[in-house]
Amino acid sequence: MKRRILAFIFYILGVIAVCIIATVSFISMKINPVLNGPGVTETVKLSNWFEGIKNTNMDTNVYVFDSGVEGGSILILGGTHANEPAGILSAIVMLENIKVETGKVFIIPYANNSAISHNDAMEGAPEFYHIDLPDGSTRDFRFGSRRTNPTDQWPDPTLYNHQSGSTLGGGEVSNLNRCYPGDPDGYPTEKLAYAIVQLIKNEKVDIVIDMHESSPEYPVNDAIVFHQNAAELAITAQMMLEMDNIQIRLEESPVNLRGLSHREIGDSTDAMVLLLEVANPSQGRLRGKTDEDLVVTGLDKFYVQAAKEGKLYAPYDENGYPISLRVARHITTIDYIIQSWNMMSEKQILIDDIPSYENLINDIGSFLIEHEG
Amino acid sequence: MREIYTPEVFYFILMLGTFIFLAAIKIPIGVSLMFSALAGAIAFGEFFPVRHLVEGAFGYIDTMLIIATAMIFMASIKHSGLLDTLAKKMALGLKNQPTLLLVLMTFFIMIAGMITGSSTATVLTTGAISYPVLKSMNLSKKKAGAIIAMAGIYGMIAPPVNLPAMIIGQGVDMPYIGFTPPLLLLTFPLAIVSSLVIAGNQLKPVNVDELAIEDIPSSNFAIYLPAIVMIILMVLENVGILSLGLPLIFIISAILATFTGRKGNIFKTSVEAMRDSLGILSILAGVGMFIQIMTLNGVRGMIVGFLNGLPSEILLIGIAIGIPLFGAVSSYGSASVLGVPFLLAFLGGNDIVVCSALSLLAGLGDMVPPTALAGIFAAHIVGEKNYFKVWVAGLPSFFITMVYATFVIANSKSFGKFVEGNSFYPVFFIGLAILFVLFIIFDKFKIRRQTT
Ligand SMILES: [Zn+2]
Repeated sequence: MKRRILAFIFYILGVIAVCIIATVSFISMKINPVLNGPGVTETVKLSNWFEGIKNTNMDTNVYVFDSGVEGGSILILGGTHANEPAGILSAIVMLENIKVETGKVFIIPYANNSAISHNDAMEGAPEFYHIDLPDGSTRDFRFGSRRTNPTDQWPDPTLYNHQSGSTLGGGEVSNLNRCYPGDPDGYPTEKLAYAIVQLIKNEKVDIVIDMHESSPEYPVNDAIVFHQNAAELAITAQMMLEMDNIQIRLEESPVNLRGLSHREIGDSTDAMVLLLEVANPSQGRLRGKTDEDLVVTGLDKFYVQAAKEGKLYAPYDENGYPISLRVARHITTIDYIIQSWNMMSEKQILIDDIPSYENLINDIGSFLIEHEG
Repeated sequence: MREIYTPEVFYFILMLGTFIFLAAIKIPIGVSLMFSALAGAIAFGEFFPVRHLVEGAFGYIDTMLIIATAMIFMASIKHSGLLDTLAKKMALGLKNQPTLLLVLMTFFIMIAGMITGSSTATVLTTGAISYPVLKSMNLSKKKAGAIIAMAGIYGMIAPPVNLPAMIIGQGVDMPYIGFTPPLLLLTFPLAIVSSLVIAGNQLKPVNVDELAIEDIPSSNFAIYLPAIVMIILMVLENVGILSLGLPLIFIISAILATFTGRKGNIFKTSVEAMRDSLGILSILAGVGMFIQIMTLNGVRGMIVGFLNGLPSEILLIGIAIGIPLFGAVSSYGSASVLGVPFLLAFLGGNDIVVCSALSLLAGLGDMVPPTALAGIFAAHIVGEKNYFKVWVAGLPSFFITMVYATFVIANSKSFGKFVEGNSFYPVFFIGLAILFVLFIIFDKFKIRRQTT
């Protein structure tokens, strides 16, 4: 009898220890640093445009760069999918470096602030990755999930009946990029999408850019996906990129693929919407060991092999696809989209100090502020 | 051994070896999986993988809730008398038409899967209801169990709700549109063949004495309420009017069952049901940990890469075996991990048809040990202690399904032409009608021969 009681106490203590360790690890990702940069004129909560997400984990920081000079406006979204780190890092690099001379820029680095606070079960992803800074120190960044944290939205329905009439798997109702144009009375992720659309409408945003990454075996890769209204913008930007020897594909937003930013925001607002993809093996299904190195270097032997077998849709070799390259592609594409816009519109958007493609590839750390979190 | 597969192949052998050894010395499967995951993590250099194990254990939390609550529902309607009453009503209507009755019962089982997209929920609801009927037709426990398990899988894959197909489609941004014809063509003919093959010549006309029901107020309409409420709530969930989720729907219907028919005690029933399901729940937690670690240390990538890199002549065989095998851990997981890259490998055929057939292969995973959700629960409802007997009885239709699905993938273009053409629905339904007439004639002929 005594032995049984001892065994019982032993097990219970074990369970408590596991719970504490797992909880500490889980909660460590909830930190929510406020970022800053020389050009930021105001930091506002997204709930400013829709009260419905106030005091929830869906609320996120919007960094405003108001030049005070009348012109066009652009919204740059990173972190729609928090397991696609180059989108987030591009947004952070821009917000910590740019100055806006004409027009207005909005940057949301963590578009789904809930998704960055956890990892996908059974994906073995790292919680953090770090970038080396020039002074020898490092800066940590969180690596999140494609979906909203279940502690913020759970359970999801079996089927997601999107308001457009199309049916998606239930889990997609926690995927921000299937919830547009959003629903003020819907699931938290739908409210988040609604809040972003409200920002776009109220601020009369001209251009929306949604930054993503995709696995190299997926056909839409290293691409600009554009709403039909933004075709000219996308084509001009592609021509400029090709002149710099940066290959990028153009994909028109399919009409029957509903809930995505480029389709729904394009249809329901006056903004021109473009979604950027760049290849990233750390989220792909062919990847081998999953760790911080893979996130940063983008180098995976199984992808090298698959590339040799001609199974990938992105140029891939022993050099990998480092995050510096992925960020450089995103930022340069945004730069050229804005330049194309300035060629065709009187509402100018003029931005100084956008880091250049070469400089980003050579030393992305030098564009990051030494900073907590 | 190609150099590229080291060290992953050693991790894999270590994890599998640990699992087999622990299972062999009678450590519970779920715990064996946990320790083999731990071994894989330590070999990889992750010495303290608490976070990964806990995160992985949460991977199937939704499935676990569905299983636990569906078990409670099943136990409740068994106790209330709904199971036997409903079975009796259905069996007596066609008591001299065993072949037709068997096929109709197979379709009936599939209904729950078509609505819920879950083979477990199907086996534990319509599967449980149909067991007394199958038993009354002289089918042994293992054959009845195999029929129910396979029908559960076909139901889960049949339209309108097919979650593996949705998961695969989402991975390549393919909308879930136009799947009804190919899924009909993939599931219904197979379901008929499967049940007939498994039943074989054991099938006899209904033995009315087998359906004797004691002390149940069977004329009372209230006894059917739990099933009716359950179906209404499921349909409301799917059309998006009232989203309660399967677990809550099962609990509501279970509570209702304690007030209708034979009176029951929901607390007692749920404790019993939980005791019966704890084993499988712990397996699912262990499987989550196992996959998390094999993703972390690269074993998953090695398997996907190896299968995906097979030369095209044997790629199909790799798919036919690999997807159901990986589905042993979870059909949804297999759809996501293997289904997506395989669909990408087959782009250029008819994508919707290929995706549908891949989802069928993923569904088959629910028959593969050690998790084998459909098989284990089918064994549970027919009262067969040894799940492997059910599994063996289902093997013929398992292989028929595998071959059919592979054939469809290889010929996706011509299948696509047929299912997308105008003639599909007329041909499909006229074909079914002709089959039914044939079954009726066959039954008449068989019974006359037996009586003369
Ligand atoms: Zn994305």
